[in-house]
Amino acid sequence: MSLTSIGGDLLGTIPLGDIVLYLNPLHLFLFVTIIIFTILIAISRTETQVEAMFGSLEENKVSVGMKEFKHRRFLAIICGLATAGAMITGDLFNFTLFMALIGIVNIGIVSAVKQIDVLDSAYQYGLIAMMCGLPLFGGAAIILASTGTLSLFTLAAAPTVAPMTIFGALMMLVGIAGESGIAPFFATKAEMFRTPGSPFILIIHLSSLFIIVRSVEILLIIIHVI
Amino acid sequence: MKIAKIWNKLAKPKNIPRLFAAILACVLIIGFVIPTALDGDQLYPRPEPQSQMDAGLSIAPYDRGGEILKEPGTTIAEYPENSKYIGWINSYMSPIADTARSISPYFGTTIYSSPGGLIDEILYYTRGFDTILESSILMMAFIIASWLMLNFTMDRRNEKETIQNDVKRAIKSSDRIANEVEESNRKARAKQRKRES
Amino acid sequence: MVVELVPQYVPAFFQSMYTPALYGGLIVAFIALIGIAIQKKDIHILILTDLVGLAMLIVVAAVGTDLAEALVLPGLVVELAEIMAISEILISREMRKIGPKQSFIPSEFSLDMEIMHTAPNFLALILIAYGAFLTGFTGGAVAGGGIIIYVLSRKARGLPIAVVDGVGGISGIAWCLWIIGFVLFFAVPQYWLLSLFLAALGLFLKVASKMGLMGILMREEFGKK
Repeated sequence: MSLTSIGGDLLGTIPLGDIVLYLNPLHLFLFVTIIIFTILIAISRTETQVEAMFGSLEENKVSVGMKEFKHRRFLAIICGLATAGAMITGDLFNFTLFMALIGIVNIGIVSAVKQIDVLDSAYQYGLIAMMCGLPLFGGAAIILASTGTLSLFTLAAAPTVAPMTIFGALMMLVGIAGESGIAPFFATKAEMFRTPGSPFILIIHLSSLFIIVRSVEILLIIIHVI
Repeated sequence: MKIAKIWNKLAKPKNIPRLFAAILACVLIIGFVIPTALDGDQLYPRPEPQSQMDAGLSIAPYDRGGEILKEPGTTIAEYPENSKYIGWINSYMSPIADTARSISPYFGTTIYSSPGGLIDEILYYTRGFDTILESSILMMAFIIASWLMLNFTMDRRNEKETIQNDVKRAIKSSDRIANEVEESNRKARAKQRKRES
Repeated sequence: MVVELVPQYVPAFFQSMYTPALYGGLIVAFIALIGIAIQKKDIHILILTDLVGLAMLIVVAAVGTDLAEALVLPGLVVELAEIMAISEILISREMRKIGPKQSFIPSEFSLDMEIMHTAPNFLALILIAYGAFLTGFTGGAVAGGGIIIYVLSRKARGLPIAVVDGVGGISGIAWCLWIIGFVLFFAVPQYWLLSLFLAALGLFLKVASKMGLMGILMREEFGKK
């Protein structure tokens, strides 16, 4: 098993002390895509939802105020950058920190809405995000204890995989499932979308999608499946 | 139970944290079954507890060798080649910290938090990127909290009527409190007079 | 007596303590998670999730190296940050549910201790001076605690929005100092001392001002322009 068997040949590394970011074709593709999408979001305006009213010909426009728009755009850009960083990082703990950043920014994007239902599901998602601290950081710490390293390069080159490492990876998997809201934990994230404000709302969806792709690669590297 | 009912329950956001907690608790049980042991070959190892205190080092238990601005301390990093000046922050101490060390052997933990020392080397240099992310997480949380507070829960400047009512109520309650205080004063004075007479 | 300052290999003591420490963390987490699974009220769940965060700190600290000590800090901060944002969302939701009936003046903050009349200036000064000596994240937390004590004992009732924004701006600039320090660490490594002080002071200013502002986040409008 080596780092190159999933993502392709290593194109280069960005060494920042113990944290080494690395690029291969898969990461480069994900990184560039999310950066392009972030730029698109940065220059776009929000949609306005139009609701037909009962019993008359009037219509009700649900739009986003200027202040709220700026707040959301800022958090959406940070979310995009954090996702881009998570795509190329080569350190386990660094990756979990990126995920925590994405989680809190996701809550922030919908925190400014006026609908009680959306606020409620944002709160419930926040509870999950807080609980995810245990499986993410704890899982990384268990992998650190059993292998003595957090770097993906060293983890990929390790000769054997202890049951404890697999337990750490399993914990991380639970954490990733909760934080990115895949089944069966989809309800909170799906309800968070029910508010005007695309395309900023969309980055919530996109970031979890990208995170899942990247985390699958990282978990496969750790447990040496391929 | 029918599968449709389960799906319906899963669609309510209120149930999701509880479900997540239950699943995570089940996964944790695995941790008690598998063999667990600490790998001996760790990064940044630390000496045995109490050993530096017993040896009488002045910044025990955080002495990692080296001399201030003269000789780097010992830092066992993952990629020492990526950090050229590794070990220098480890051995550095600010002048105040150095004075504190020469005065007393009991300030090891305090000095360790001031500029210099192994923790600063890890937090700022070799794993500095983690600290950037960590402080930006704190910043984002603060932006969210203060924005919500300033714009929703606090901003009622334009609701003149509510403000008037509330101020009236506040005045009334403070009047009541003042009356009560006066009343108790009067009682106390009467008691005093009785005792004196 | 000559001691080995930094061993190449983890001492046997840490290895023997790892499994009990890990089990301790897992048991705490298990109890907290079961509590969450059967609990009904939202606010109770929020408090119990903090317990899960503590269990995470135990699991990280069980590794027992200097690296683990450094990793505890990000974990602690992430938990702190998330509980702050989420509780604010909970308050916002509840206020929206209640609607305009919500009282403008919140329940009075009644905490009457003698020390809060006699010594707030002295205590705040000592804490801020000690925090400035510590620098970095720890120092910021200590100095911020000093500011909070001062604010609480003076019964401050909210700040003008401009002031909150201004202090937030200062902490943002301090954060940029730390980013510059981090870049200099790798761009010009021979100036590591400059970078160290940029990082330490930047983090100190940032955390202290944030912690101080947290003490001022009280929902009241008097004195606000």
